[in-house]
Amino acid sequence: MSRAGYQREYHVAVIGSGGVGKSCLTAQFVQGVFIESYDPTIEDSYRKQIEVDGRQVMLEIMDTAGTEQFTSMREFYMRDAHGFLLVFSITSLTSLQELAELREQIVQIKGGDPNVPIVLVGNKSDLEEDRKVSRSQAFKVSQAWGNVPYYETSARRRQNVPEVFVDVCRQIMRKDLSRARRDRGPERPGYGGGSGHTYSRRRRPRRQKTYDDDDYYEPREKRSRCVIL
Amino acid sequence: MAVSMLHTPSRASTSSGSSMLPLNRQTTMSSHDGTRSMRTSKRYSVTALYLSMNANQRDLEIEDDLARAQKALRDLKSRISSQSKKNFVLEKDVRYLDSRIALLVQNRMALEERDEVASHLDDATDLSEGTFPNDEKTQKYGNLFFLLQSEPRHIAHLCRLVTMAEIDQLLQTVMFTIYGNQYESREEHLLLTMFQSVLTYQFDNTPDYSSLLRANTPVSRMMTTYTRRGPGQSYLKTVLADRINSLIEIKDLDLEINPLKVYETMIDKIESGGEPLPPGLQKGITAEQAAANENVQRIIAPRIDMLIEIANSFLDTIIDGLEETPYGIRWICKQIRSLTRRKYPDAQEQTVCTLIGGFFFLRFINPAIVTPRSYMLIEQIPADNPKRTLTYVAKMLQNLANKPSYAKEPYMVKLQPFIQQNKERINKFMVDLCEVQDFYETLEMDNYVALSKRDLELQITLNEVYATHALIEKHSAELVKDESSHLNQLLAELGGAPPQLPRKENRMINLPLYSKWETPIDDLTAALDITQEEVFFMEAKSTFVMIMRSLPTSSVVTRRPLRLERVAEAAATTKNDSVMVRKGIRAMELLNQLQELGIVDKEDNYALLRDEVEQELVHLGSLKEKVIAETQKLDEVFRTIRDHNTYLVGQLETYKSYLHNVRGQSEGTSKRGQASKVLGPYKFTHQELEKQGVIQKSNVPENRRANIYFNITSPSPGTFVISLHYKGRNRGLLELDLKLDDLLEMQKEQQEDLDLEYVQFNVSKVLQLLNKRFARKRGW
Repeated sequence: MSRAGYQREYHVAVIGSGGVGKSCLTAQFVQGVFIESYDPTIEDSYRKQIEVDGRQVMLEIMDTAGTEQFTSMREFYMRDAHGFLLVFSITSLTSLQELAELREQIVQIKGGDPNVPIVLVGNKSDLEEDRKVSRSQAFKVSQAWGNVPYYETSARRRQNVPEVFVDVCRQIMRKDLSRARRDRGPERPGYGGGSGHTYSRRRRPRRQKTYDDDDYYEPREKRSRCVIL
Repeated sequence: MAVSMLHTPSRASTSSGSSMLPLNRQTTMSSHDGTRSMRTSKRYSVTALYLSMNANQRDLEIEDDLARAQKALRDLKSRISSQSKKNFVLEKDVRYLDSRIALLVQNRMALEERDEVASHLDDATDLSEGTFPNDEKTQKYGNLFFLLQSEPRHIAHLCRLVTMAEIDQLLQTVMFTIYGNQYESREEHLLLTMFQSVLTYQFDNTPDYSSLLRANTPVSRMMTTYTRRGPGQSYLKTVLADRINSLIEIKDLDLEINPLKVYETMIDKIESGGEPLPPGLQKGITAEQAAANENVQRIIAPRIDMLIEIANSFLDTIIDGLEETPYGIRWICKQIRSLTRRKYPDAQEQTVCTLIGGFFFLRFINPAIVTPRSYMLIEQIPADNPKRTLTYVAKMLQNLANKPSYAKEPYMVKLQPFIQQNKERINKFMVDLCEVQDFYETLEMDNYVALSKRDLELQITLNEVYATHALIEKHSAELVKDESSHLNQLLAELGGAPPQLPRKENRMINLPLYSKWETPIDDLTAALDITQEEVFFMEAKSTFVMIMRSLPTSSVVTRRPLRLERVAEAAATTKNDSVMVRKGIRAMELLNQLQELGIVDKEDNYALLRDEVEQELVHLGSLKEKVIAETQKLDEVFRTIRDHNTYLVGQLETYKSYLHNVRGQSEGTSKRGQASKVLGPYKFTHQELEKQGVIQKSNVPENRRANIYFNITSPSPGTFVISLHYKGRNRGLLELDLKLDDLLEMQKEQQEDLDLEYVQFNVSKVLQLLNKRFARKRGW
């Protein structure tokens, strides 16, 4: 976001188990179509400009593989993304359960930041008759993750589709702003100086982590939302 | 008499223990001979049985080139089996620690958790061998595991019941222990039967076609684990490694065809040249705008051609590798086809191919292409450009297999020619993939063979035994609906499952397996549905083959056509070789018996038997070549697996040292008195480090490299000073302080370059070097 000023570019990763409808959700949002064909994703990327709260924002969306054999690719896009849509299918309880591990990995990669912009998305809400995950069940999960918002979507009917992208985008923006405000403040000594962990290398070839100073974040506002249709 | 031999304890084929490897054991890996009739397949198996039994009576053992080659191959296979299991376990440990260490490095782990991690590490090394606490338990667990092994439906059922958290442990036990002899047809076939059962269930319980085989389920976990076994590994290596390696060498080859990315790179280049952006070129444009840019189009066009060429070359090797494809993988493709046809009778051929592609390419080939390092195909993580190219190749292959009607990313449409060109080829390939024989016949045979043996056993850890027991117990309500079932009886006898032992008390045991119910088969002919005549015939054939293999090739009687009675006589009169004499006499008896039964005729020189013996010998001749070729191939696989093991062990060692170090520090100042000793300096030449791959790039001119050397010192555990020297000068040119934490963090972030201005070190290799040279007893 160093190129701020002109236009903000935010990276969002859509992740979740295989076959929950990540690509359908993304294609519905970006291109306004519903994909019917059997077409598992390996890694696709899209870009879309949207307006959020009166600001123009460029979203770079990474649609990822749900197939577990590709898990070793995860780390790359988790590092890259600013916000995440964690998608499951309301017709499969295990698809929700699998997200816990992903969420943990995200938090860990973001340096232990529990407030990474995340939206929990229960897709296929049009398949009510096959529902295996109750709303309260999913909502409970979203609360356990620090009150992240929960939406139920139908990529087929384009229900709540733009909403989830806008929501995650708004979270990123809020975080971005608070960081900008903070950065104008006085320099403070680095974190983790205790117990022999200061970096004594004369040249540090390593880049600074973006998220490793979470203790300066302003307390996250209380939010507790559950958006269903 | 022949039948009574079944009771003699024999090693037979636990890992194909016979010195004469029968045909049907050879075929686990690929290419079942489709023409063999059921009858002959039985016959072969019976021959196999005889040969294996005879050969296992030590005094009758044959010692020729073939036997030695086969023995070497067998040993290699069992080493691969056990090594790949070790790696699987180590990988789990490393994965666990990978995530923990990251937190620790960032100083975010609570002290207690730190200790827990450390305890996890303490016994990550080899388990000591031991025995079961008592004989009764040994026997009962032996019965249980025999049942689990020989009736795969129980485990198949269990796989559907367990949670995703439980499944990894279960699959480890199943794939690497219960069916751990990866090259043994019986175990492989039983494992595949289990696959089939789980697969069928999944087809029956997936509501719509588009979600078939998509979710991460027990089946997909099984696939992941299955591809880690020897045959899958060796296939990927043979078919893909060369292609991938030649591709990643060209680090600068940028084949990006996403117009947005191309556009951005173009802009960045202009900007970094210090020039202002020409009018009309702005940032943050849409995909359509980028695609419409003429310069972008000009850059992309040749890249499209190149990508198609590369993808074609991958496709070529995959298609050419049809016969190399592991039997199990092909057989699963076949099951997918028949299940699809059964569930959707109207499904088009294309639909079937799509689903096979959703397995073969999505779960097996493409993951290895996209992340070749995790599949041990390459050593280093590829640079960004080749990595992106590999992703494109995988995407193209997947598109080809699935032929989606809609291109999600519009720019991928440009690659359509690849799909048009190869449509028919790929469909034919998928059909060919499924062309393998079923194994039910041989499985039945193998099970008889197994039952006839007294020494089936499993190498298993106590904790694996207890964990499996606990899982079955937990899900017993679902698993054993029938109170009188064998499984239920065994569970009742065993009582409650013991808790898991601490890692220190865990032991590797040899668990003898036997059935509580079936008794060894007394009547082989009835069991196998063959006649006594055939039994005699088989025994005669195998006896003659063994005699022929033992006779010196210079002997007159080995001339073709064979005169069987002379061969027998020559054997019976061999001097100083009682075994041969016995074989000779037996051969004569058998000839007479067969003559009396009217099966062979002395008048035509026992032509029927003679021809089969001669054919068998020809077959054995070519068998030797095959055995040697296979050994060479597997040698390579073994080496790869072992290298990977070295890497994993090294990684664990590094973590271990690091943890000890951190804990040492947090244990407070009291220990600081016993200041740790300075280690080093150790001297390394430029040449040495270059050879070891520690130096991955050098800016030192060739003619000066001989004068460059490095000193590495460790002033205290976990800290290192690397200095670069030029011969003849007192002071070093450069000095770098390093902390283990930093190196680990760099490694964790996949950052491979450690810049020393004159040279660039490879982070992983530096870690390995430090690990080797500075390993202190407790920490570094």
